[in-house]
Amino acid sequence: MTSHWKFVSRAFVLSCLCLALLQPLAAQRHDVDVAVVVHPDTPISNLSLAEVRKVFLGDRQYWSTNVPVVLMIRAPVARERDVVLKIIYQMSESQFKQYWIAKIFRAESASAPKVVYSNDMANQLVTAIPGSIAFIDSKDVKPGSKVLRVDGRLPGEPGYPLR
Amino acid sequence: MGSRWLLLLLFSLTPSALLAQSSSPPQPPQSQSAAAAGEPSVQSLLERIQQLENRITQLEERDRQKEAALAPAPAAATAPAPTPGPAAMHDEHASMSEIRDTERRFPSLQIRGFGDVDFSATDEKGSVSGFKMGQLVLHLASPLSEKVSYFGEVSFTAQPGTYDLSVERSIIRYDYNDYFKISFGKYHTPIGYWNTAFHHGAWLQTTIDRPEMVKFGGTFIPVHFVGVQAEGNIPSGGLGLGYNVGFGNGRSSILSKSGDSGDSNDNRSWVANVYARPSRFYGLQVGASVYRDKLTPQPGQNFGEWITAADIVWTKEKPEFLAEYANVHHRDELTSNTWDSQSFYIQLAYRLPWQQSKWKPYYRYEYIHKPEDDPTLLNVLDLTGSTLGVRYDITNYAAFKGEYRNSRHGVNEPRVNGAFFQTAFTF
Repeated sequence: MTSHWKFVSRAFVLSCLCLALLQPLAAQRHDVDVAVVVHPDTPISNLSLAEVRKVFLGDRQYWSTNVPVVLMIRAPVARERDVVLKIIYQMSESQFKQYWIAKIFRAESASAPKVVYSNDMANQLVTAIPGSIAFIDSKDVKPGSKVLRVDGRLPGEPGYPLR
Repeated sequence: MGSRWLLLLLFSLTPSALLAQSSSPPQPPQSQSAAAAGEPSVQSLLERIQQLENRITQLEERDRQKEAALAPAPAAATAPAPTPGPAAMHDEHASMSEIRDTERRFPSLQIRGFGDVDFSATDEKGSVSGFKMGQLVLHLASPLSEKVSYFGEVSFTAQPGTYDLSVERSIIRYDYNDYFKISFGKYHTPIGYWNTAFHHGAWLQTTIDRPEMVKFGGTFIPVHFVGVQAEGNIPSGGLGLGYNVGFGNGRSSILSKSGDSGDSNDNRSWVANVYARPSRFYGLQVGASVYRDKLTPQPGQNFGEWITAADIVWTKEKPEFLAEYANVHHRDELTSNTWDSQSFYIQLAYRLPWQQSKWKPYYRYEYIHKPEDDPTLLNVLDLTGSTLGVRYDITNYAAFKGEYRNSRHGVNEPRVNGAFFQTAFTF
């Protein structure tokens, strides 16, 4: 009876351990919308997904004649980057790197997107640099930031495409 | 024994609770009473966690208040921002130095190199198998201001006993906006797709070599162009139209060369290229090009040249599809004789999903027909050929390629079989 009780208690504790370890992983994988944030003076408030793609592919390089687009993207392994590569670029990490090397090599763009290492950094840079655009987890967007509608929808609204 | 298991459970739950803060508001620990009954050190640890959580909440609140005080009032057109969550607490703060680092500086020269090493063996009579150094290519890009950029490309090509240094491209470009960018210098002529998509870095292209119709040193189309070029997007909504229009020296008296040091005659060449990248079919590009020049291969010999070309490509890799066609029309201005030569290629490739998508098999068929008596394209031979190969990406910046080719150059010539290997890289 004692050995049986020990077996049950160990199984229970092991199950709890597994759950405890998996809980944060599950929490991190939840679907949170990724906001498209631009510098507050950017003369635009709504883009279609195709237009966002055109901007991030470097095919549209100016918001207006005097305001160049400054692209920002999170460093590898960030969830925002995964969402951008999957939905916007539809490329793998290596295809993305090759794409920008080729883009610059063709003289179609002078520089690749700037890499930002945290959402906090992205928030600060997008506020400081005119023409900048970044993808930020919608929970981490600072108040007062300019969030673009994508296909007419804001993050959190049904049908928002970037998640 | 049981208390040890309990202790293990509590230690495993503690980091879990800390990690979970990124997605949920802090919760008071539920296991305090249980811990109190166990080890006192666990109790103190939980209290310490609680204190730290409270402190973080205070700091976040203070940070938010500061930002709210400093932030300008949002414009009417500004979309409402979602309420920030506590997940930002683990992010680093971007300092002013980070902002300065991210700002563009002028000029800021970037250099990228490309290289390749090749091996070939064929059953052609008189051919020698062996290794060959491919081109070493340096690409330079430097923004000179927000609207002015310089791009350059130089190549070192192995020759018996020496290396040839060549300026392949040298362009200074002024961007007015997306619809109008004007540049001056030496370009790859915007005829068709390949000539402006892959340039001299073998690593960029799927196959080992370029198609014959656009090969470097070839004469079927003018690969290089010296002059002025305007390019940009055409307002067209989802159609994604763009254009290139160029005006320059055209071919020199050596038809494979551009007129870098001056034109060979008093007549300028021009080129126009229009393409569409429809947003509905991301990856698709369709284009058409026209090129006009007057050739003077020898003093007193003048030929009018019209090149018309069309291309359709699907640039994604699952699958990749490239197809180009060009017609080269020559007219002797003295005799009014005309000649038309045609060339096309079709290339198919597919990035296999296994083994981290490193394998990419491909096939290309190419064809060239030239009238035998065309006095201008003397170095061009009729061609029918197939290439079957595979590319293996060793890393993000280097690849192995292996190819089998079966081709016939010239009329009534025997077919030649060959095996070709290349390692191509960028650095």
